[in-house]
Amino acid sequence: MSEYISGEKNSQPQEYCQDIDYNYFVAAAVIAAKLDQATTIAQQLSLTASNARAVALRAGERAAGFRPLTDFIDRLAEITITASKKINLLAAKLSKTSAAKVRADNAIKHFNLVFTKAADSPFINSLDSAFEHCKINQDRLTRAYQRQIGQLSEELAMLSSELRNAVILATLSRVEASQAGAQYQDALINVADNVEGAAGKIKEHIKYSQQVVSTLQ
Amino acid sequence: MKTHKLFENNSHTWLMFGRDDEKPNEIIDTNQYMVVSKSNALLMDPGGIELFSAMLAAVIKQVPAEKITHLFASHQDPDIISSLGLWDQALPSATLHSPWIWEGFIRHFGMDNITYAPIEDEGGEIKIDNVLLEYIPAHYLHSSGNFNVYDREAKILMSGDIGAALEAPEAPLFVDDFEEHIPKMKMFHQRWMPSNEAKNDWVNRVRKLDIEMLCPQHGRIFKGDNIKHFLDWFEALEVGLTGKNLP
Repeated sequence: MSEYISGEKNSQPQEYCQDIDYNYFVAAAVIAAKLDQATTIAQQLSLTASNARAVALRAGERAAGFRPLTDFIDRLAEITITASKKINLLAAKLSKTSAAKVRADNAIKHFNLVFTKAADSPFINSLDSAFEHCKINQDRLTRAYQRQIGQLSEELAMLSSELRNAVILATLSRVEASQAGAQYQDALINVADNVEGAAGKIKEHIKYSQQVVSTLQ
Repeated sequence: MKTHKLFENNSHTWLMFGRDDEKPNEIIDTNQYMVVSKSNALLMDPGGIELFSAMLAAVIKQVPAEKITHLFASHQDPDIISSLGLWDQALPSATLHSPWIWEGFIRHFGMDNITYAPIEDEGGEIKIDNVLLEYIPAHYLHSSGNFNVYDREAKILMSGDIGAALEAPEAPLFVDDFEEHIPKMKMFHQRWMPSNEAKNDWVNRVRKLDIEMLCPQHGRIFKGDNIKHFLDWFEALEVGLTGKNLP
């Protein structure tokens, strides 16, 4: 894990990344928390879109090019909120699976100790059936855990890809803002800054989550 | 984990497990008890999660896993039953008998398979094969929902935290010199037992039982005259001290 963190893929300072050295069953909860923060930022982005629409209306013809952009900002916020909620649910599911897996792993560990400590017991075979059940449960949980990590990874990548549009949206917003006249220009540039800032923050949370997921794979 | 046979007749055996020399120092030493009858076994206060593998290894040397059909938890404390999540894997068909008020709490230890059989406040009985065991109410001693297990035939009272002593894991099995034993029990009873009323009520009821061994969950077992010494001492002891008197 440390190899990946300090490698080329990661441009974050080392101190920042040391934080992601979680136990695997904590990691899923951390991802859920990060995506919860992303949802809050996306909700703010939605407010920004409403605000932009109002400014664009007041600016009239001079901001005609800006109005369709507010729909895109709205759509970006909506996509982010929906995807964040979905990822949050996946992370919560993964967290539950991880906790169950810890318990199953723990049970296997204890059983193995008993098989060593009581190897000479005439009744030691009476544990075989319970142990077999534990092994089946552990295998099932391991498979579910790996499948859920795959799904989580895919969803994070998709959201990250959607957020690339935010940079284009911010650039277009700035261009349109510059044509809206002095009275509205600052307000609309502020909208563009907000879009870029919000998308940047959400991307940070996603990047962090992706790094955490990479430690689980 | 050492195993001691406390009683045996044609119908059943009482075993005590404890004095685990592999136990981490930081956790309190505990005594676990098991009644083994013809086809079943009742494991009482099976202990904390830290003890599980040592306990199961000790138990499996005595009986096959499928024979342990019943578990009993006198109350909800972690040293009593935090191993439940693992027993749940080892004995999926077993039934756990415990105070009704703790069901929602004890299930937090993990219980997907085992059945919970709540014990009503007034107590009750359990019959394993032909062996009748009675649940003696011991509420507020120390837990607000708490039971002892009494075996009229063996004349054994498993008294949970009542009679418990804090001492080294290598301590002898039985109380020898009662006066010498008092300092090991005094603070425990004054601090853990909250109610004089509950204590005296319990002492009055227990005096009427025919007991040859009083078996607490920590420390040494009382036999013979030491049972009366203990009941007299406990009756006279002020418990539930607060403020400056907090022991």
